Amino acid sequence: MTFDAYWAAVDEELAAIPGRPVLDVVPARTTDEATFYTVRITSTGPYRVYGNLSIPKGDGPFPGLLITPRYGSVNNIPHPNDRSRYVVLGLMHRGQRLADEGFAAAYPGLLTMGIDDPSTYIYRGIAADCLRAAEFLMGLAEVDPARVAVTGDDLAVLTAARRPGFSTVRVTDLLFYRAMEARLKSCLYPLEELNDHLRGGSSTDALSTTLSYFDPSRHAPAVAARTLLAVDDADWCGSLLSALPDPEVYQVTHLDGADNDFLDAWLAERFGVPAMSKFVA
Amino acid sequence: MRDPENATVEVELPADFDDFWAAGLADCASDPLDPVLTEMPTLSTDTVIVYDLRFTSFGGLRIAGWYAVPRAGTAPYPGLVTIPGYISEPTVPKEWAELGYAALAIAPRGKLRSNDVFNPGYPGLLTHNIVDPNTYGYRGFYLDVVRAVEVLLDRPDVDNLRIGLQGSSQGGGLGISTAALLPDAIRCVAAGAPYLCGIMTAPTLTRSYPYEEINEYLRIHPKDVDRVRETVAYYDGLNFAPKVQAPTLIYLGLEDDVCPPETGFALHRTLTCEKTLHTYPHCAHHAGLPDVMRVVEDFLAEHLTPGR
Repeated sequence: MTFDAYWAAVDEELAAIPGRPVLDVVPARTTDEATFYTVRITSTGPYRVYGNLSIPKGDGPFPGLLITPRYGSVNNIPHPNDRSRYVVLGLMHRGQRLADEGFAAAYPGLLTMGIDDPSTYIYRGIAADCLRAAEFLMGLAEVDPARVAVTGDDLAVLTAARRPGFSTVRVTDLLFYRAMEARLKSCLYPLEELNDHLRGGSSTDALSTTLSYFDPSRHAPAVAARTLLAVDDADWCGSLLSALPDPEVYQVTHLDGADNDFLDAWLAERFGVPAMSKFVA
Repeated sequence: MRDPENATVEVELPADFDDFWAAGLADCASDPLDPVLTEMPTLSTDTVIVYDLRFTSFGGLRIAGWYAVPRAGTAPYPGLVTIPGYISEPTVPKEWAELGYAALAIAPRGKLRSNDVFNPGYPGLLTHNIVDPNTYGYRGFYLDVVRAVEVLLDRPDVDNLRIGLQGSSQGGGLGISTAALLPDAIRCVAAGAPYLCGIMTAPTLTRSYPYEEINEYLRIHPKDVDRVRETVAYYDGLNFAPKVQAPTLIYLGLEDDVCPPETGFALHRTLTCEKTLHTYPHCAHHAGLPDVMRVVEDFLAEHLTPGR
């Protein structure tokens, strides 16, 4: 199946399934600044996924921020700094905690679940979860449609590529980019999962084929938003950078306090809200 | 302007602190460890053998871990228990086995593979039954790490005179508590950005999770503040620190919003053992990563002598 046909099929499946979101207020996380909700919404499968949603108090509309899930069983709750400035939605994809009724993802294991066939690969559904979250966020009346960002790893690129309503993309990590090469660099997880899977008898061709549908450099040409890519090795990221239309590059310093502050300020400036450091001096 | 190095962080020491933990250890001792190792061929490599490990801990719960040993060299190897952070799952510790350690990455109760019975979730663990020290969710969690060390102490392929602890954040905090509870067994501790130190002070210095969980709990249960303070005093690293005898490495990010540096400095001040402190300006919760890992590796190698 071609790349375009693969993803068109995901979009078609998603379009046929109503999200039926349910929101519940969380009093413990609701403050004078923002109201906090849990969200449960249907994605492909059908499967109910989970989100943490916060909406600033006061007169909107507000800029929107979608945080795509990291690789791991838990995602942090959106930080109060973000909750005070953005309509922020943090998604738990299928299998992550709070979205694990019926399917609990294994770590290690998730990265290679169903990977021998692109049609059964777990990340096909996870990508759909992100797209569903994007549709939900953009549909909220409190969100300013001209100011919607997505932040995260490759899933942020994929989401922005397939949902053109985003004006801004902030990429802070990479998982699928050149994964079949990156897996050879060390025995560190999660990419070591690919090596583990190959030791179990799978073929490199099968893995390469499936992963090619998720490599952000293949999605990048469709991204219309302003994009910031935080990179450790710009040379390594060359093909991704060249595929993105006019990306900005931030060279990570590994002084993560400084890095966090830069990334926060970059997005805040785009959306005309104050920059805020998580470390209160 | 904050002055983390000189800030005051105080924790009251419960009068029965030692008795409380002695009782927990005694409860554990009543159950045999009953470790079961299952070799995992696909996780193993040309240089490392990986096992799924299960053992019995406090309350009779079965706890999981990944155990990795080098193929090269001759047993017994130095043992290393790696302790996970709050939201992270333990990864298979192949990189430590490649350095010559028999490495056990433990999944304390509530982590995946150890959550059949106890599963408070994340968020959730930090405030689970936080009004009662005897049923606080962290009680068994702390003891699970102790039991992981006891598994290594019994292993014929581990030199029980060379066992160390390594972790960051929650892993750093539990490295301190475990070394305090097993002072004769632990040879060194590497603790990065230690969590669970100054537990009631930290939420006043940050709005980041997990400490924000305590602020949230008290937002809807404001009358519980004294009971919360009483409970967490039994679990605070500052009360464990004077009991640590093993050489200890502490490393801190001076702009850590997750575990405020004030609490890390307080831990360092409270330790009476041989201790080393590395601080990293402009760093947050990564506390010097990735460069600090070379410091950690050198520290562990000095005390545990892999490849000897």
